[in-house]
Amino acid sequence: MADKDEVRLVVPASPEFVRLARVTASGLASRLGFSYDEIEDLRLAVDELCYAVIGPAGRPGALTVRFFIREGGLEVEGTGHFDPGGPPVGLSDLSHQILTALVDSHDVRADLDGQPSVWLRKRGRAAEAG
Amino acid sequence: MTPDPDEREELRRQFAVFAETREPALREELVNAHLGLAEYLARRFANRGEPLDDLIQVASIGLVKAVDRFDPERAVEFSTYATHTIVGELKRHFRDKGWAVRAPRRLQELYLRLGQVISTLSQTLGRSPTISELAEEVQASEEEVLEALEAGQAYRFASLDAPAPGPDDEGSATLASQLGEDDPTMMAAEDRAALGPLLEHLPPREQRILFLRFFQGMTQSEIASQLGISQMHVSRLLARSLAQLRSVAAES
Repeated sequence: MADKDEVRLVVPASPEFVRLARVTASGLASRLGFSYDEIEDLRLAVDELCYAVIGPAGRPGALTVRFFIREGGLEVEGTGHFDPGGPPVGLSDLSHQILTALVDSHDVRADLDGQPSVWLRKRGRAAEAG
Repeated sequence: MTPDPDEREELRRQFAVFAETREPALREELVNAHLGLAEYLARRFANRGEPLDDLIQVASIGLVKAVDRFDPERAVEFSTYATHTIVGELKRHFRDKGWAVRAPRRLQELYLRLGQVISTLSQTLGRSPTISELAEEVQASEEEVLEALEAGQAYRFASLDAPAPGPDDEGSATLASQLGEDDPTMMAAEDRAALGPLLEHLPPREQRILFLRFFQGMTQSEIASQLGISQMHVSRLLARSLAQLRSVAAES
């Protein structure tokens, strides 16, 4: 895979589609040589990220998840496409703590249209060593 | 499984007392006296792609419910009543598991095999194996390994895995966490406080695993060896605990 390759997934903002984001992330991470440990952590992190955007029970609208392969690591960005006036998107203290433990860096942003967006980055240690 | 008449009389007496007093120590005694029944029934549901330890935990929660709801006035033996409740709980568990249970049998079997292989390979390699190493070891494609790992996970929240919140449920939470092969070491009070009130919804073992992974920064493999359980089990408990926390958050 070339550096800065991008994979983009657009799904309804509903819990049953979060699985697709996990599967995509673990498939890409596997190709990057992530270890089992790292992939299990990544799955949990992608869950946290998606639910941070869509809320614990989902909401009307769509979720775009973009995966970037950069410098041997994987970046995942989830952005909501919701009608204005819905509940605000953010990371709880616990989610923040969880992501800090699971990935190398993460961030909550608003995109140019003011849509909520959560981003994370994880590198594979096994991949670096090999 | 079938107590002799004396024991049966004694049980009936204990249930009558419990119906009156709701004494927690007696409740625990009654639950403990029937754990064999729970495990026996859980085993009947094994080989359907669900790990036995999970099934025993579900069955035990059914048992606790049976003890709590049993009416000694009614002309039915407790074991008969409990069997219905426990089997109902196990069936509901399978129904709630959703995709994981509908996964092809091949993937379910692969998942169970991977549990072994992950432990063995981690030991030989001295690090966590990559997916391609796992695939080679089990003679499957990387995609199959990834699918199996996903299928085996309890990402979907099965409501009955969770103890109902509240002090009344202490017994079942403690019980469930003692049933595993693990060390039920309690956490220091200040560590528990750091986790926040949400985590009180989880059994002590799950709280501890979350604490070690997310607050102490231990890896899943380190937690597995500290608690003496498989890494796959740690991974499953983490995923399930986070799903439970989300479900609590969704309800509030």
